[in-house]
Amino acid sequence: MHGSTEVASAGTMWLAAILFVITYGVVMSEKINRAIVSLVAAGLMIILGILNQEAAIRGVDFNTIGLLIGMMLIVAITRQSGIFQFLAIWSAKKVNANPWGILVMISLVTATTSAFLDNVTTVLLVVPVTLLITEELKVKPYPYLFAMIFASNIGGTATLIGDPPNIMIGSATGLTFNDFAYNLTPAILVIMAATLVPIYFIWGRHLRAAPEDRQRVMQFNEYEAITDVRLLKQCLSVIGLVIGGFVFAHGLGLEAATVAMTGAALLLLLANFGHDPEHQSKHVLDAFNEVEWITIFFFVGLFIVVSGVESTGLLKLLADKMLALTGGSLTATAMVILWSSAILSAIIDNIPFVATMIPLIKAMAPTFGGPEGLMPLWWALSLGACLGGNGTLVGASANLVVAGFAERAGQPIRFVQYTLMAFPIMLMSIAISTVYLYWRYL
Amino acid sequence: MTARTLMNPQPMTLRPTDTVATATALILSHHLRHLPVIDAQGRYVGTFSIYSLLRLTLPKAVTMKEGLSDVSFVNESTEDLAQRLRERGNEPVLNWLSTEAPVMHLETSSMEIMLLMLQGRTTSIPVVDKSNQRLEGIISFWDVFKKLTGEDA
Repeated sequence: MHGSTEVASAGTMWLAAILFVITYGVVMSEKINRAIVSLVAAGLMIILGILNQEAAIRGVDFNTIGLLIGMMLIVAITRQSGIFQFLAIWSAKKVNANPWGILVMISLVTATTSAFLDNVTTVLLVVPVTLLITEELKVKPYPYLFAMIFASNIGGTATLIGDPPNIMIGSATGLTFNDFAYNLTPAILVIMAATLVPIYFIWGRHLRAAPEDRQRVMQFNEYEAITDVRLLKQCLSVIGLVIGGFVFAHGLGLEAATVAMTGAALLLLLANFGHDPEHQSKHVLDAFNEVEWITIFFFVGLFIVVSGVESTGLLKLLADKMLALTGGSLTATAMVILWSSAILSAIIDNIPFVATMIPLIKAMAPTFGGPEGLMPLWWALSLGACLGGNGTLVGASANLVVAGFAERAGQPIRFVQYTLMAFPIMLMSIAISTVYLYWRYL
Repeated sequence: MTARTLMNPQPMTLRPTDTVATATALILSHHLRHLPVIDAQGRYVGTFSIYSLLRLTLPKAVTMKEGLSDVSFVNESTEDLAQRLRERGNEPVLNWLSTEAPVMHLETSSMEIMLLMLQGRTTSIPVVDKSNQRLEGIISFWDVFKKLTGEDA
């Protein structure tokens, strides 16, 4: 993200543009693993002389990489404690196993957990419990799974660490955990509540369960779901410390990756303390294996590709074109970013999109009176890219994980059927974001 | 020694449309563990086993891939479990076959048969004709070891 802004020769710019478009195309086709695509493209960027290795490495945002790996390690250890299952059952019992109440509670648990931990891991652990509960209640799991997809993406938008686009935006702009909480969380609370309204009218009001079936769920013992109390205490303490670290990071002069990686190291230390070396090696390796290396290397390659394109001045050119289109108006630019991010993120992976948009938006700083003037644009990008993921089944990785479970449970979520319901609800969340941005910043 | 000499050439079989209830009754009354399922042309479709029965008596959220690995918090009564078994009694066995279980051919050697049983943690393996997928018989652990200890004489 720190490439030079001087404009390269037209030939180099074309070469970078072609490589960039091909990379996007191949990633979208899903014919080749996305980590392979981005690494090959990154290699070509350097070999073809668009940027040198030194510039390429400078282009990789190691704060994003460190934050992602740190949080993935913390989740990898925490998930073994059974806390996710506990929360799902506990919340279901809090509403007396009322089917609509459970849908609301499971959505809130999913949204809250997704705000602080990885969305995919959250749904991976909460969906099976939800399916068990719906099976016991003899209700269709579809509305629950639908609501969970939305909750995971909406919750993820609320914080700096909730979703990869926010991590990238925060890292590239220096916006803090508190900035995200202060600027995005209010909008997210409204959007989460508003999303439950159509879900209630479409499905919720028809949900019924027999008293004896509800009784079965009430007999679940959530405390039995916690497999390791000592580990759970360690995990919750470290997560508390890490979140505290994010809140005070700015004041302490620390970056998010330092907080997350140190937290991960501390949790590994606590969880392995007192065990023999062989046991430790196995556990540490197990935790490292849970890191999503495909995502990590996809990021590394992508940062280099985007940095290569940026160094040719192409993104600056595109930014100027966009500003010409919006007449240099902040409101119009914010709306174009919000709505185009939402619609594109519903169809394509939001990670490469956001990685490209960041330098593009940065290049607009002079027009809007310096980096501070860009604030509304960052929130527009975050809301659009994260919430847009709800629009189709391929919009976000959590959606695909939920769909995979639905398929295996014999209740498949069909692409078209999902899109018909989800796309309008997603557009509603973007409409709310529009009002919010307009009211607060424009 | 090959599968051809060791197998039981006339095993009890099921059709894909037979119900779970029929299969359950057969398994319980004959103390069977595996029932090969064949189509109208005698081709091997899969195996309905005691593991199919265990799977269909448990909630899907537990038995599916990446499902719940720990169910200590669930407290179902015998009646709850029995009800699930009854509810699925009218389903065709086709819905509950294990198709990834190993099969062997007429020429499979005895050592390979034993290794397949050990690795697959299974006590019997269907014998299938390579050329037309027809079920030729089934070999059980007992067939093999009675032969080895001379008890079959």
